[in-house]
Amino acid sequence: MPMNETILASVVFDQLQQAMACDPPGFTELYRDYLADAGQALEALHDAVYRRQAGELRARAHHLKGSSLVLGAREVALCAAALEESGQSGDLQGTSAMVDRTRQALREVEAELASRLGFAVIPAEKTGAV
Amino acid sequence: MTATPIRVLIADDHPVVRVGLRNMLQADPLIEVAGEARDGVEALELARSLRPDILLLDLAMPIVAGMDALREMTSGNLETRTVVLTGLIDNRQILEALQLGARGVVLKDAAVEHLSACIRAVMQGQYWLDGRPVQNLVQVLRDLAAQTAPPPRKTFGLTARELEVVTLITEGCTNKDIAKQFGISEETVKRHLTNIFNKLGVGNRLELALFALNHHLLPVT
Repeated sequence: MPMNETILASVVFDQLQQAMACDPPGFTELYRDYLADAGQALEALHDAVYRRQAGELRARAHHLKGSSLVLGAREVALCAAALEESGQSGDLQGTSAMVDRTRQALREVEAELASRLGFAVIPAEKTGAV
Repeated sequence: MTATPIRVLIADDHPVVRVGLRNMLQADPLIEVAGEARDGVEALELARSLRPDILLLDLAMPIVAGMDALREMTSGNLETRTVVLTGLIDNRQILEALQLGARGVVLKDAAVEHLSACIRAVMQGQYWLDGRPVQNLVQVLRDLAAQTAPPPRKTFGLTARELEVVTLITEGCTNKDIAKQFGISEETVKRHLTNIFNKLGVGNRLELALFALNHHLLPVT
């Protein structure tokens, strides 16, 4: 089944998988760590929006953007970039909806990864729902 | 005989990013990850102690930001070559990074595709931008400088001499001062001022000074 490029860039996933061909569990662990970290970032983003903390929003969104870019989670990276910009400008209008969009994008990344790597990629503390 | 590996220090505050980059780099037999730093201070300390060939530097890091770390690296007489790794970067930042001594810029979403090639190119003495080695850095710098230069000053039809008069007026000079400075008569200065007032639609020197400030008529110093 072809990968949804907007959700997870196949060029990044494939090349990284190839680079870690000698360590498949390590590859799964890398994406599992990403999902766990992104899940925590999402909660922090939600909190920052709720508390109207623009600086915190910017910093957390930047963090999420970086790992999402490196691992090919394009849609999550785009959402995070938009949140980072809102945090930078201090204009938090629409950020709540953007956090929801990020959450949805992350769910799709998780589903895509689970279909590629199996349920071992889902962080232990979760059951699939981000 | 095997070639000496290129020793790389990774500096990024995000653990997942560091692990991802480490794995990408370790797949290249010519590259060895010498160390990992979590912030700008650690990056500088490890660069000094490990003396890597390449510092892979995230621009947005805590404690000491990437640009500041880059500045420190350049002034520290280290032979380590720095490659900037970033999410998004505008031309002004690229120009600044190059001026501070960066040898390459790689976007994070292109890291898996370009990082290895970038590091090899930089070790061969080349620069790396836009996903490829740069052949003519001088031309690139010139283009970037042109793209990031402020827009030309709007002059509202004032002549070069009239603009000079405006500048002196805003500095508080009298007609006599201006006449003396330009070696012209006070009558000529008055004529210049009349023309300036007419062109800008202002009625006195104070209005002229405010107009000049608000419309960026003064030269950038």
